[in-house]
Amino acid sequence: MIIAAPSVNTCIIDNNQIYAYGLKKLLSIKDLCKQVTHFNNGSEAIAHLKDPGNTQNLPDIIFLDIIMPVMDGWEFMKEFEEIKSQLGKKISVYILSSSIDLHDIDRAKNIPSISDYIFKPVDVKQLQEIFKNLQGIARQ
Amino acid sequence: MSFSEDRFSDDSRLHLAQIIDNINAGIWEYNINTRVIKWSAGFYSILGYEANEIECSNHIFFDHLLYHQDKAVFLNALNDQSANSAKPIQIRLLTKSSGYHWFESTIKKQYDKNGQIIYGSIININQYKQAELKATRNDQHYGDTIRIAKLGSWEIDAATLNLTLSKQIYDIFELQTEIKLSIEEGVSFFEPPYRPVIQNAINNALEFCQPYDLELLFRTAKNHVIWVRAKGVPIINEYGKCVTIRGILQDIDSNKRKGLSLESSLNLLTDQNRRLQNFAYIVSHNLRSHTGNLQFMVNLYEETELAEDRTEIFSHIKSISSSLNATIEHLNEIVKIQTEITNERSIISFEAIFNNIQLAIKSNIEAFNARIEYDFSQCPQISYIPAYMESILQNLLTNALKYSHPDRQPHIICHTMKERNHIYLIFEDNGIGIDLERYGDKVFGMYKTFHQNPDAKGIGLFITRNQIEALGGTIKIESTVNIGTKFTIKLV
Repeated sequence: MIIAAPSVNTCIIDNNQIYAYGLKKLLSIKDLCKQVTHFNNGSEAIAHLKDPGNTQNLPDIIFLDIIMPVMDGWEFMKEFEEIKSQLGKKISVYILSSSIDLHDIDRAKNIPSISDYIFKPVDVKQLQEIFKNLQGIARQ
Repeated sequence: MSFSEDRFSDDSRLHLAQIIDNINAGIWEYNINTRVIKWSAGFYSILGYEANEIECSNHIFFDHLLYHQDKAVFLNALNDQSANSAKPIQIRLLTKSSGYHWFESTIKKQYDKNGQIIYGSIININQYKQAELKATRNDQHYGDTIRIAKLGSWEIDAATLNLTLSKQIYDIFELQTEIKLSIEEGVSFFEPPYRPVIQNAINNALEFCQPYDLELLFRTAKNHVIWVRAKGVPIINEYGKCVTIRGILQDIDSNKRKGLSLESSLNLLTDQNRRLQNFAYIVSHNLRSHTGNLQFMVNLYEETELAEDRTEIFSHIKSISSSLNATIEHLNEIVKIQTEITNERSIISFEAIFNNIQLAIKSNIEAFNARIEYDFSQCPQISYIPAYMESILQNLLTNALKYSHPDRQPHIICHTMKERNHIYLIFEDNGIGIDLERYGDKVFGMYKTFHQNPDAKGIGLFITRNQIEALGGTIKIESTVNIGTKFTIKLV
């Protein structure tokens, strides 16, 4: 069993409260990550990333939903691409969506800073894989 | 017998006879009293015979040489008393080796010592006659083609602005007489919105040598409104200036109308297809999202041992169950729109329905302390499906309350309007508005929410638009953030 370093910081951007709760709970039960921040939409997350007070507290990984009010996943990615070079930290972004629309999947593939597209709810093995890789990168 | 064999009394007559025998025409002579017939050598040769190769007789002429259908023409000319002034006749004669040819013959009458003589000269006009027949056939063919194509041609002289129209143009105009028309009079046959279009096209052709090809609505003299194609091509002089516009006018009514009806069917199908896609979208996205969550929670429930976690997870399961139910209800409502569309329409009063709805959501209105005004005087009634109208008005009203501005008293104005054959419903509020540049037509999409309003479900405007469009109407939105929103609904 791989035990995540306590430093791994996860961010969930999803307007679905129940799903966000579930993912948080799952990460905790599986001991993958204890430090989870949740935002209701892209706009809140961008504000958090941009805030100079959070430079020490930036996420290593973002789980991003697509359909959200105020600022959806695509709009978030557009803003994220603009600011990511100034963040001083490599952040892996995973789309986490219940959409099985090929149009959405292709669109995500064409955005270079998106690591992968994961279907909701979520496969535990897949999550473990993601965090294991993250550990590998962190150790290098 | 030939003229030269005749017994001439002196040299000059002999000389004359020789000339006659040598010219490239045939001379014939017929004595009515003696029934003697004479042909010149030329007569034989233009028919392709050697002199005297065939017997010179009435019997040979009428039964062998003259085409049977032309006998009447020839005999009439012979019997005509005023034959001296008669025009030459055209007859067909059998040549030796190339079948019947057309000949023209003069017919003259004269009396001499031997009695009444009729004589004439024949020349071969076959080449001209064939060309003439071909030209007639071509004219006929051209006329038929033009008629079948419902096509007329016209010309404008750039210097005088004189308009010349072909006969077929008058047929398209349905004008009985071919009266002279000016350009302005010609243009006035087009329907008012198309008059500037055609006038501009003509002006541009005259000034800038631009050709045009337009499809326009046209009103004939008999008041038929038809689609026509108007095409004009400038003809330029050596300086590149337009000297003439030559063009056609074609009646394309039946094709154009078929095209238009096809286009409207296509739009209808596109609309229905879009609704179906929306439907498929909710089934795939929303139901999937709920069932996914349900599965997720059930798994978590099994994973965790903590009683406190289990209580929380179970409360989420209950909430998913009710969301699932709500989504199914929404699906049901969309299906209902498609089935209720065949329901009977009845005459309904806007005021009565609007007041009923105000009463139904009275507590809601009071909670927001909203000021609601209406004016249905311009169009108090409409033939509509009552359930739809109730649903449309209620949705718009509750939306206006839901998205009212927190800093001011909600002010909602609703009125109707009649314009041409359409009835409009206008619904305005002074609420928080929506950024249309950003969200555009997504406003009417399913499960699209834009504000962080906990009550927002993204179903109301979707249903409203579907109800309006199902009855052939349209809905438009104008909005300014922090100022308000205006819906303009074309009901019928």
